Amino acid sequence: MSSLLQKIPLIGKEIPWLNDVRQKGAEAFAKTGVPTAKTEAWKYTKPRELCGDDFVIKQSKKDSDWKADLPFEAYQIRFENGYFCPQESTLPQGVEVVPLIEAMLFHPEVWKHLCKMADINKYPFAALNQSYLNEGVYIRIEKNVELKKPLVIISHTTPGEENLFFNLHNLIVLEENAAATLVEYHTWSGEVKSRYFANLVNEIYLSAGAHLEHIKVQAEAFKANHVALSVVAANKDSEYKSFCLQRGANIGRNETLVKLQESGACAEVNAAYIMNGWATLDTTTDIEHLSAQTTSHQLVKGVIGGDAKGVFQGKIHIAPNAVKTEGNQLHKALLLSNTAEVDVKPELEIFADDVKCSHGAASGELDEDQLFYMRSRGIGLEEARQILIDAYLEDVIGKIKHEGIRNWVEKEAK
Amino acid sequence: MSKTPLLEIEDLCARVEDKEIIKGFNLTINEGEVHALMGPNGAGKSTLSNVLCGKKGYEVTGGSVRFKGKDLLSMSPEDRAREGIFLSMQYPVEIPGVPTSTFLKHAVNAIRKYHNLPELDTMEFLKMVREEGRKLGVDSEMIKRPLNVGFSGGEKKRLEILQMSILKPSFAIMDEVDSGLDIDALKVVSEGVNALRDGKFSMLVITHYQRLLNYVVPDFVHVYADGHIVKSGNKDLALELEEKGYAEFVKEK
Ligand SMILES: Nc1ncnc2c1ncn2[C@@H]1O[C@H](COP(=O)(O)OP(=O)(O)OP(=O)(O)O)[C@@H](O)[C@H]1O
Ligand SMILES: [Mg+2]
Repeated sequence: MSSLLQKIPLIGKEIPWLNDVRQKGAEAFAKTGVPTAKTEAWKYTKPRELCGDDFVIKQSKKDSDWKADLPFEAYQIRFENGYFCPQESTLPQGVEVVPLIEAMLFHPEVWKHLCKMADINKYPFAALNQSYLNEGVYIRIEKNVELKKPLVIISHTTPGEENLFFNLHNLIVLEENAAATLVEYHTWSGEVKSRYFANLVNEIYLSAGAHLEHIKVQAEAFKANHVALSVVAANKDSEYKSFCLQRGANIGRNETLVKLQESGACAEVNAAYIMNGWATLDTTTDIEHLSAQTTSHQLVKGVIGGDAKGVFQGKIHIAPNAVKTEGNQLHKALLLSNTAEVDVKPELEIFADDVKCSHGAASGELDEDQLFYMRSRGIGLEEARQILIDAYLEDVIGKIKHEGIRNWVEKEAK
Repeated sequence: MSKTPLLEIEDLCARVEDKEIIKGFNLTINEGEVHALMGPNGAGKSTLSNVLCGKKGYEVTGGSVRFKGKDLLSMSPEDRAREGIFLSMQYPVEIPGVPTSTFLKHAVNAIRKYHNLPELDTMEFLKMVREEGRKLGVDSEMIKRPLNVGFSGGEKKRLEILQMSILKPSFAIMDEVDSGLDIDALKVVSEGVNALRDGKFSMLVITHYQRLLNYVVPDFVHVYADGHIVKSGNKDLALELEEKGYAEFVKEK
């Protein structure tokens, strides 16, 4: 059995039904274990590192005086080394933010969605995450409430001597016509001594007419492992608009499963990744058009240097009854070195007629003539390269609606 | 009056992809001088410009180039620019996604930094661009657009000269700055070029047409064929070439 499955005393272990949920996760993970090269969904991103037997789950929280310095106003929710840290920010009317364990025990309505949205037999790391179900946050935005300031979930890690392993599980529910901006920021500070593993699951439920802009910045330490799954259920006329920047970790996988389950639902799943060294950064999407008149757009752009490897697996599934749907997908990569690599696997599964679907992929290098032009004006090579890289990412980052966040992401991408 | 040499090219030989293009090129340009370089298509004029500015893909196989007494060929392209060389390109490059003004600001400040001058802030920079732009008919709408993208041939050339007047080089190579310019624009651009002539600023003007040389009057005219200068003279040589063409200089093939 994998060393990732450890027996630790979790809160509520004496409650049979809760134990049962966790046990199901453990069993599902025990069946598959850490994916190998033979696992189709993981054939390009090999999480070999995660087979090591030296991951340690810390059982007590340690507060740090680290503070996120975000250049935009926001409500902050913070986790330190995988543990919830209460914050002193007052939330406006109509928003509820509850630590997950509290929600599981005292807000029975969470069980309508919690651990229901993804099939854990298909997602080994979601199964593993469920076996530790404890830390995370439940966010509920009431009907017709439009959140003015973004909600930011910060996961901050201080890598220690040991290889930390932690799981976070968030449930985000937007009721009818609610609207919000959610930011996830995964960062670290201190010295990079160990290769910690952050295993994350978000379940996002959008009721009819709800709008969510979800922005994520994965800026983990360079030896870290970051595996994240966001599952989104989008109901009638709701909108899920996401952007994920990955620029840290040795293995980083950001997987998004969107179920457009009622007509008029739409999703925009955009991403950018920037990498060097030996990193593998993986963007995997699965957009399921389950109902008629649903739309999805994806733009993913990567900048790959060193011996790094970018992975994009993008699936668009159109169910038999999902007529008059539209699904587009485009992946582009900029290769900065001869040893940089990119693996792209687009997949269209179309079972309906009268649909508009497209996918495309392109990769290229920095243009020598453009570099020379800038250098001939006195701009140094590194600066010239950076200008071209910024320009390359401009359109995808430009899709972030919230201006303050967009400017922040632009800086994070440098 | 003793002359101070600015650019000294000696026996320069260079090739592109195993093809010898420059074969023993000699030329000295002193401070304040304007030299015109004329020659048939494919003679290697743009190649010479690129070699002098350090573009990749051009292999120098012999000779030397000194600029202000320093070995030019060992410098990076950006250092050549920072030392005061400017190349107005025959085909300015388009850079989508990079606003012209952003690019210009990077360039100005990179050069200022090299000379230990404080960087210009956005206000100072815009003021300067607006002033210089007005003289050359480059409006502020144009510099908001991505660099050279969708610019007409003439607009691109005007922008080259705008860059030159902002970056204030001590030596400029103008590779067919007159191509694509209408008659009025030619005048405007020439005035922009002449405004830089302060007795020290020097130029190598590459052109196919005498007309530009009516405005930017050269001290010397050189005919470049078969990889080197085959004839030099004063401005009257340009008039002669206009009449007779290059026939007498081009070897029978
Ligand atoms: N990158 C390259 N690869 C192959 N051949 C090249 C390259 N660059 C230049 N050449 C060749 O070198 C020769 C000289 O070209 P160059 O552009 O310097 O001529 P030019 O004198 O500027 O001509 P024009 O008056 O038409 O501008 C030409 O035969 C051209 O095809
Ligand atoms: Mg030429």
